[in-house]
Amino acid sequence: MSESQQPQRLPGECFPYEEKKKEISEVLGDPQLVEKMWKDIDGLGYMYIWFCLLAF
Amino acid sequence: MSEQMEKLYAERLKRYTTAMRNEKPDMIPIRPFVAEFVATYCGYTCQEVAHDCEKAFEATRRCASDFGWDATVGNMVFVWTALTQAIGLKYWAIPGIDLPADVGFQYREPSEEQSFMKPDEYDALIADPTGFLFNVWMPRVSTEVVEPGRPSTMRNNLSFVKGGMGMMQYFQGLSRQGELLRTECGCVSAIAGILKAPFDILADKLRGYVGLSQDLFDCPDKVLAACEALMPHLTQVALATSDPHKQVPVSLWMHRGCVPFISFEQFDRLFWPTLKPIIETLWSNGLQTLFYAEGKWGAHLKTFRELPAGSIIFHVDMDDIFEVHRVLGDRFCISGGIPNFLLAYRSPKEVRAYCKKVIDEVARDGGYIMDASAIVQNDAKVENIKAMTEFTREYGVY
Repeated sequence: MSESQQPQRLPGECFPYEEKKKEISEVLGDPQLVEKMWKDIDGLGYMYIWFCLLAF
Repeated sequence: MSEQMEKLYAERLKRYTTAMRNEKPDMIPIRPFVAEFVATYCGYTCQEVAHDCEKAFEATRRCASDFGWDATVGNMVFVWTALTQAIGLKYWAIPGIDLPADVGFQYREPSEEQSFMKPDEYDALIADPTGFLFNVWMPRVSTEVVEPGRPSTMRNNLSFVKGGMGMMQYFQGLSRQGELLRTECGCVSAIAGILKAPFDILADKLRGYVGLSQDLFDCPDKVLAACEALMPHLTQVALATSDPHKQVPVSLWMHRGCVPFISFEQFDRLFWPTLKPIIETLWSNGLQTLFYAEGKWGAHLKTFRELPAGSIIFHVDMDDIFEVHRVLGDRFCISGGIPNFLLAYRSPKEVRAYCKKVIDEVARDGGYIMDASAIVQNDAKVENIKAMTEFTREYGVY
């Protein structure tokens, strides 16, 4: 995903997993684990920017 | 934690939560929102508690122990200025750098021309709020961050690395502070989670108050759409940061979305319809909201009655607390209302007399939490905070 593209970012996410998945040709192991961990850490990026806006 | 401290904590938690449900506890809970006052009390400068959050944590715990409060905020000097400096945030004036060391940190709103969001950027914000914050807003509010499309720099990268790690460190420290308040002081962490009204966020950190005032006439539909676009994100952050035990409220810091800053029509069309559903969502998730009503919100008290009974705690700043109690007292707990000028400039005797009046007229049936009107800064006299605390303990028993 390029910087200029605008994905549909839901509350809680910065870089949607649906977009990231397009970069992965095949998940050889547990796809749900890959998705969960991507979303969990992506959510920290979300909290970072919204906390800057709201609190800091 | 000692058995005695655990018992004390349990008593105070029960007292605090009972009052917040608008019921009558054993005595009036005391829950001061003390900011730079903790520096005054512990002999620190404002710079020390703003720039070294561990000193702020330690000073808050010392106050909680010495005064014996039921609840307080882990750190009401909420901007850790070392972190904001690392990120490069321009809008804070930092004590010891931009301000004398004994002046509390200040928000610097830019001029209309320098606003962090331009009047023709509403569509971009509405389409992708999170992307707008990263790509447009952050490069404007930070001295370090480079806008997309320009060559990156080491300072740009460091802003995010240091900012992310620093923020994590701060919140871990705040979590530890909650535990220490409990185990060392028997004191409840008064709030968890943060919320601001969409309209206020647009005014504070995006368009600026002057810019937004003009937009209300030039493009009111865009302002409404922007507030609506912010709603799900502000709800998300409030829920994600709330108390998992659902005992203490989410704090809502209410700024300038009231008459006379805006008209009744603007309040009814823009401010309230984009805030009320958030409060209702929190309530449906079992969470109360602390309406920290900074300034005067008296023109809208009847509107607040639309909210489910018990869903908010209404904190009184400059409003007439007796009128607030008359209009809202049957539905919501009320807190605060002890004027800060009294705590800063008058005698302990006058403080006690005013506390008596508030207790007699507002707290007689429960549903009241003792606190100053606004956050307590370094102008408050120690003897007056002591008078407020001691008098409430002596006289505020049911």
